[in-house]
Amino acid sequence: MSAIQTTISESQSITVSKPGEYEYFLTKPGVEFTLSGSFHATGSERINIRITIHHQAPHTLAKTKLHGVVADSAFISFWGKIKIDPDCPDTNSFLTERILLLSPQAKAEAVPELEILTDDVKCSHAASISSIPESQLFYLMSRGVSRKEAEKLIVEGFLGVESSNQI
Amino acid sequence: MARFAQKNTTAFTPSQDTNYEHGYFSSTASYKHIAKPGLSKWVVEEISSMKDEPDWMHQLRLKAFEQYEHMQLPPWGADLSAIAFEDIHYYLKPTDAPSKSWDDVPPEVKATFDKLGIPEAERGVLAGVKAQYDSEVVYGSLKAAYAKDGVIFLSMDEGLAQYPDLVKEYFGKLIPSGDNTFAALNSAVWSGGSFVYIPKGVNVQLPLQTYFRINSPNAGQFERTLIIVDEGAKVHYVEGCTAPSFSSGSLHSAVVEIYVKAGARCQYTTIQNWYKNVYNLVTKRARVETEGEMIWTDFNMGSKVTMKYPSFILAGKGARGETLSMALAGEGQHQDTGSKAIHLAPYTSSTIVSKSISKNGGRTSYRGLVSVGPKAHHSQNSVICDALLLDPESRSDTYPVDKVFASDVAIQHEATVSKIGDEQLFYLMSRGVNEEAARKMIVHGFIGDLIKKLPLEYAVEMNRLIDHEMAGSIG
Repeated sequence: MSAIQTTISESQSITVSKPGEYEYFLTKPGVEFTLSGSFHATGSERINIRITIHHQAPHTLAKTKLHGVVADSAFISFWGKIKIDPDCPDTNSFLTERILLLSPQAKAEAVPELEILTDDVKCSHAASISSIPESQLFYLMSRGVSRKEAEKLIVEGFLGVESSNQI
Repeated sequence: MARFAQKNTTAFTPSQDTNYEHGYFSSTASYKHIAKPGLSKWVVEEISSMKDEPDWMHQLRLKAFEQYEHMQLPPWGADLSAIAFEDIHYYLKPTDAPSKSWDDVPPEVKATFDKLGIPEAERGVLAGVKAQYDSEVVYGSLKAAYAKDGVIFLSMDEGLAQYPDLVKEYFGKLIPSGDNTFAALNSAVWSGGSFVYIPKGVNVQLPLQTYFRINSPNAGQFERTLIIVDEGAKVHYVEGCTAPSFSSGSLHSAVVEIYVKAGARCQYTTIQNWYKNVYNLVTKRARVETEGEMIWTDFNMGSKVTMKYPSFILAGKGARGETLSMALAGEGQHQDTGSKAIHLAPYTSSTIVSKSISKNGGRTSYRGLVSVGPKAHHSQNSVICDALLLDPESRSDTYPVDKVFASDVAIQHEATVSKIGDEQLFYLMSRGVNEEAARKMIVHGFIGDLIKKLPLEYAVEMNRLIDHEMAGSIG
């Protein structure tokens, strides 16, 4: 599988919807870039996402957010890398990978990497893998929502999906 | 300090001070044996026969050597291509047997350890001491009270001679020779290291310490440590490392296996301050049973290249693991460190905190693994990696891997990279602190949480070392 390479020379937002390998090059000073992706894996699906954010110019900003929900015996792997070349001062880059596990057979992998070759940066990444906290379910259930419905609401909120026509 | 530093700090030039206070060495003329450089089956046989060890150990060495010959250097991590394996002396024997008293230690060896302050530390604050000089332990002691409780603290060679069954049961079981290239090399040519057994329920209040010293040029030090902490027992083991300032490289490749039984606790502290010509490639692993606790406190300041990822296998319900890792990389150094947390049992928890400082073109890398197996439900892990870059030439990397095969778990990873901010400096300087003192304060604050976990005398030493490293860093 070869990576889909995109050069980001003007500020923009991109949403990734298909699994695969993506590389983004921030080549122009002042560029601001937002990347997001939400994935829901069910059955025995296997979803692999590989993303590289490569800062090649000074004064750039990138925000990357990947959310995944894993049900049944599915598997999600998020691999993200922020790379900052030498002589790229005033670079800001943030990477977040969040995975929610819905079943005991669900599997997940999160690999957030950083390679920083310049010192004037603000850079961070965060990753989490967890099940739905019992306290959140309890909160909704104590308000008369069934467990199943509560789980559905939390998953929708997590993936940022607007629940259409309901309510 | 804030999680993120401000931009546009005034540039400052770190000093080129390469003052390394442990850089002296003594003659190797009185050594009992020095193996010819290079590694062959003959060298392995030579070591084995000189040690007069049981046949199973002899076979283990030969098997490990065979494995080593077929293994490659790791394709990832630090650059190891400059190691001159054929120039290294794989076995250097300074004395015939470990001494029980400082008076029996050869004068030039004693002078070295006197300079490092070992005898005073032993009298005051340690339960037992081992001193390893090149390949062999030259001195050992254990306070009588602990010996009476049944605590065993011997060099690995003595341990093998006196407790062969215990050693055979555990040796190489946690880190088999085929685990990785350097585990194979160590298994083939190991010499020295510590053998520690703490009986059930015994709490060793004072730390046990081993001091590792490389003295010869082109030395290979391959110590092998085995620590068994029986049910409900507690121990704190400390190791310190220094080497002379030779221009040619030395190789230090240790293997440390630790068994923490039910309800036991083991803390393993490393203060690694090798001279900047030493390749430090170490495998460390602990197996933790029910409600046991393993704490790695890992401080890496010296060496040319360090690759070390202390790990714990949480095999019993409710086991706990913790790694506190600090790395400081200066000119020409690469500290590739981190930790591995393997959760196999339910209700296990672990924490990894890593702080790294890169300066003068140095490079620090955090490399870690968190793996939660299918039976490890209700497990928790949190990883925090913070990196501080002190100049534009330096580099910081983070390579974590989180794998989860169970639900009802909570895994978190956070990492930040930043520099000392103008805003922070301004805040302190506007209160009358000069720039150098302000920088030191910020660095001390950055690693302060970890320093607090060290025994007092090391905390003092560590603060002093960092001040020394930071001194004159204002251009």
